[in-house]
Amino acid sequence: MSADLIVDTQIRVWVFLPIVVITFLVGIIRHYVSILLSSQKKVETQQFQDSQLILRSRLLRENAKYIPKAAFLSRRQVFNREEDGYLTQQRPAVTSSMMTDPSMMTDMVKGNLTNVLPMIVVGGWINWMFSGFITTKVPFPLTLRFKSMLQRGIELNHLDASWVSSASWYFLNVFGLRSIYALVLGENNAADQSRQMQDQMSGAAMAMPPDPKVAFKAEWEALEIVDHQWALADIESKLIGEEKVKTE
Amino acid sequence: MAAFHKLVLSLGFLSMFHAAYSAAQHRSYLRLNELDFTGLPSDIFLQALLSLLIIMYGVLNVAGNFKEIKASADLDSKSWETFRNIPSFYTFSHRGKSFAA
Amino acid sequence: MSNKSKQVPTVAYSESAIRNNLSITEYCRTSMAALSGCTAGLLGLTSLHGALFYIMAVTTLWLMILYKAGFATWNKYFISRKSLLTSGIFGQLFTYILCWTFSYGMVHVY
Repeated sequence: MSADLIVDTQIRVWVFLPIVVITFLVGIIRHYVSILLSSQKKVETQQFQDSQLILRSRLLRENAKYIPKAAFLSRRQVFNREEDGYLTQQRPAVTSSMMTDPSMMTDMVKGNLTNVLPMIVVGGWINWMFSGFITTKVPFPLTLRFKSMLQRGIELNHLDASWVSSASWYFLNVFGLRSIYALVLGENNAADQSRQMQDQMSGAAMAMPPDPKVAFKAEWEALEIVDHQWALADIESKLIGEEKVKTE
Repeated sequence: MAAFHKLVLSLGFLSMFHAAYSAAQHRSYLRLNELDFTGLPSDIFLQALLSLLIIMYGVLNVAGNFKEIKASADLDSKSWETFRNIPSFYTFSHRGKSFAA
Repeated sequence: MSNKSKQVPTVAYSESAIRNNLSITEYCRTSMAALSGCTAGLLGLTSLHGALFYIMAVTTLWLMILYKAGFATWNKYFISRKSLLTSGIFGQLFTYILCWTFSYGMVHVY
């Protein structure tokens, strides 16, 4: 360890720190730009209606045991009636594919604009501006395998694998600063890619498959095979405390 | 109280920076005298650890308070009148209209 | 209020409260990882010592969170305190390593 390199202090001020600061600030700018560009997704009335229908039908299926049989049957009838039940009604085929819907396209372009473009531009810039410096050293020993990962831009065979080149330092920052963004910008920030996943989770009730027919068909089947067992058959005796009455 | 914790937090950060600066100074001193690095002086070591503890204490208090996870916890404080208030059952079309008119 | 069935008293948990608590602990964990990483780099810890320091920091944070929740009353706020300890270890490791490398580079390399 004592025989290590002595690195010029100027590199710390003019390469090491600027890379951290640039990466961090670009992340923050990306956050605000994507807020600026983000558009509220519009939900079609029809789609919303469909998803609510599915939810209602699911509620009915799961809680069928708490209503009398006649009530359950009549509710099911409304959903599953052959000619004009909610779930069996005829719909014009929905042709909302990726290419025909222009809003989908702009969303994709915006996503690329805020995620991929800064990555390429800033990464390229840093590669060009700060190329070929040894910036830092990871404080733990690494095997030679990591050399290609950590020493991009430096081709020295005898350099210890734990030295990090400037380009690799940038990439380390890109990946490592993610949770710091969560700290600074609050959760659900746009600098973080995992946000999109959360969007999908919370929007589960809203997001309908483009073709409701399939979902309706599945729901119709599920509703058809529900076996109605009334759970409250002897609720009166239970209520006044005669628990000895056999439930079956 | 929040201001106090924020003060603690910033004091901790200042102390941490000071420790870092001292460590860097120590390192350059060693290098100039061509000595080997065996370990930091114990005062810098202690200062760094203490400031870490202080900052963590501050962060923990700044982060906010825990909520009770029992579902009944926030119902306990509400009164019966709040529960009985069911907007869906409001009726506005009643005979009061003709009294008011 | 709580629906007690025959033998097992099922406790209803409030989803939003759980999420609130978890997000607070997540916040603490991230800052702890960043700060302890900075401290480890500052102290010039290398290889195994750094890993040990991280484990120590995680445990300390766990104890502090339990202290904040109250040692006797922690189950009012968390379902399991063991998972509170274990779930935090690997999630923030990368942050820790980055900060460790950063401050080690700042203080000791140059």
